[in-house]
Amino acid sequence: MSGSGVSPGLLARIAALSVAIVFFQIGVVSEVPVFGVTVDLSPLLVAFVGLLCGSTLGAASGFAVGLLVDLALVQTLGLTSLVLTLVGYGCGRLRELRDPQAALTPLLVGAAAACAALVGYSLMQFMLGVDAPVSLELLRQIVLGVLVDAIVALPMWILVRRCLIGGLPDDPRRRRRRAYTTGGLSPLSRA
Amino acid sequence: MYDKTVRRRRVVLALLVVLSLILLTAYFGEAPSGSLHSVQRGFLTVISPIQDGANKALKPVRDLFGWFGDTLHAKSQNAQLRKQVDKLRREVVGERVDQQSYRELLGMFHLDNQLSVADYRPVTATVVGKSPNIWYSTVTIDKGTTAGVQVEDPVINDEGLVGKVTQAVADGAQVSLINDSSIGVSARLGATGATGIVQPKVGDPNDLLLQYLPANTPVNKGEYVFTSGTVASPDDSLYPRGIPIGQVTSIDEESAYKSVNVHPLANLRNLDVVQVLTAARGTLPARLSAVAASLPPGQRAGGETSAAGQLASTSGAGG
Repeated sequence: MSGSGVSPGLLARIAALSVAIVFFQIGVVSEVPVFGVTVDLSPLLVAFVGLLCGSTLGAASGFAVGLLVDLALVQTLGLTSLVLTLVGYGCGRLRELRDPQAALTPLLVGAAAACAALVGYSLMQFMLGVDAPVSLELLRQIVLGVLVDAIVALPMWILVRRCLIGGLPDDPRRRRRRAYTTGGLSPLSRA
Repeated sequence: MYDKTVRRRRVVLALLVVLSLILLTAYFGEAPSGSLHSVQRGFLTVISPIQDGANKALKPVRDLFGWFGDTLHAKSQNAQLRKQVDKLRREVVGERVDQQSYRELLGMFHLDNQLSVADYRPVTATVVGKSPNIWYSTVTIDKGTTAGVQVEDPVINDEGLVGKVTQAVADGAQVSLINDSSIGVSARLGATGATGIVQPKVGDPNDLLLQYLPANTPVNKGEYVFTSGTVASPDDSLYPRGIPIGQVTSIDEESAYKSVNVHPLANLRNLDVVQVLTAARGTLPARLSAVAASLPPGQRAGGETSAAGQLASTSGAGG
């Protein structure tokens, strides 16, 4: 993906998914606290777009989702964009460099993305001058936030993958891997 | 080819990061009437009806999730509330006497109108959106300037003070909750009448701090904290006097001032229906509140029961 052109179909899928997830987040998920914190789907969405589509699309979707969140919630413009851009880029680079295929990859990537987003956001707030102590309660909130995000990471991965898979170009590495795991290409595909 | 890809990737990242920083700097530096804030308000105007529709459509899903949490929460609250009812029953007897003397005082000051929430022209609104971030405690409601909602209007629910309106457009408004880092509420203790400022304990959405109380103020755990009805000056009342904010949970001893931890009475994590008090400052209710707030503490006794008592009745009317 990183080297090839991006199809308009894939962009449309990412845009539609982003809008749907952000509205679902604001309207439903934020209203349902789990262990005293709310699940934040936006870092998971951006991380999984990066993991599926590469660093460039990961960063771009991070910026767009962050901007949408900041606009919809009347928050400081650019703050969420900056954090999510870096999260999307990082997850995209992970795919480009390692292409991890373990079953638990989405869970670990989701937890890492949530952690990076929460810590990054907190750091930015401190840098912007919010007068708050680094309390145990704040750390507890971050840890619980990462935990609940990790819980929903797998279903979120399935959703994002299912929505985007049709728009992804067939990656030669994946084709080779499929051929290897199924015992080689079928005679029909060789023809 | 590879170099080109790497270069393009880096350029895109740098571009997006720089764009974010420019947005951040410009937004942070500009006044609330600036262009970026206007864009945000415009966006809020556009998405408010969509959010409202989505909120109605997704309410069953939210209720289903909420039901599990509410059931567990209700069980733990039950025993606690039974104890509280016993305590309050005893207090009501004393309050009745105080209320009588309060009415007499109002008569002395020629204040014929009893202060109540209904005098502040409450507008009932539904919460249609909420920030998931621990650093922003804001909600979006489905009523805006067309319903009379203005920036700085106080927001309450049936439990107590919720926050104030910080942005308002035609069909929607943003409410900053009392645990938002930008909020400070002038408050007083129910028993002694000692005043201080309630501010959020940033990073802990379930706790507030009542600060700047005189060091010798006697404070008891479980004591109620109410709005004092004043902000900068007695004539500039933002929140009506006597709206319950929370209950004292613990006391921090400090040298010059005392500060106490306050648990908000309103369940800020699970807001559904709220009321915006739209009576502008300078109107009769606001002036009455200011005059009542300027009474000496000993003569104010029972005042909070008027506004606080109305909360339960207005909640019944407003959902």
